[in-house]
Amino acid sequence: MLSIQKLLLRLELWFAPSLLLVPIIVSVVFLLEWYTKGYITGSSEYNGELILGLLLILGNLLFDIPFVRSIRTLKKKQ
Amino acid sequence: MLFSEMSAKETLKTTKQRMSQYQEELLEQLNAIEVDAHWFRRVFHTFAASFLFYYLLPDEEWINLLKIIIPIIIVASMVVTEYRRLRGILDHQRFFGLRNYEKNRPASYLYFGIAVLLLFLFFPQQIAIPCLLCAAFTDPIIGETRFYLGKKKAYVIGFVISVFFFLITWHQASWWVVILVSVIGASGALVGEMKKLRFFDDDFMIQMLPALLLWLFWQGSLALGLSILPAKMILPI
Repeated sequence: MLSIQKLLLRLELWFAPSLLLVPIIVSVVFLLEWYTKGYITGSSEYNGELILGLLLILGNLLFDIPFVRSIRTLKKKQ
Repeated sequence: MLFSEMSAKETLKTTKQRMSQYQEELLEQLNAIEVDAHWFRRVFHTFAASFLFYYLLPDEEWINLLKIIIPIIIVASMVVTEYRRLRGILDHQRFFGLRNYEKNRPASYLYFGIAVLLLFLFFPQQIAIPCLLCAAFTDPIIGETRFYLGKKKAYVIGFVISVFFFLITWHQASWWVVILVSVIGASGALVGEMKKLRFFDDDFMIQMLPALLLWLFWQGSLALGLSILPAKMILPI
């Protein structure tokens, strides 16, 4: 039982925040790159960054929500 | 005598009730962990799309060197960790989210890491990006939709999503190249996901199979004097 609690604690403290935050930070960097170098200067060369930024943020949110829910449910049960 | 016999029976009954209650609680907690590990595994896949940050790193000599050394060090440390786990030096229980069948073989994350390393080091980003996106998103989407819609529909959805990833990466190429690359790449990703091989995990195959097929297509075109590779999708900072 103790090991389950330890795993859960480690998941909450270390893995979950990084798994959720890193993709969002990376997607913001992609979007900023597109905005500063592509949108403002009117260059279409950076459209790839825009597409990937949006893809990263949407794709991650799609799975992040049920993941956070599952942790909360598990925490309640514990 | 009768009294002590009754008392023993009651004690046995209470113990049995307590045992079954304890068993139920334990099972419930194990199920909860399993459900949680399920989403954990899914999020681990989507998290991998962040590795595309690699292509944003500046194009300078010393950074280019680090771009080779650091991924190799990361994958080498994963190999050491897995070796220690398989030898029993590290407890299997310490690894959250591992499947039962991974107890006696290298875990999926190692295969995933090796495939990403190979993509970064040996393939142009036009090939590597859609393959990585397939592993990051197509794989978990197939996994989820298979549960609700059945295998066939899940694979059709997976194919369409993979086609989309190859389309957005190659959209600047000639139309016939875009179509061919999308079909070849998406088919490779799907076969890589569907085929369960003994020594190669699907997390490895979903990236390497389309990458190899596209590499052959690219090299074949070059041999015929055709340059099919479009402009890079990600430009360094």
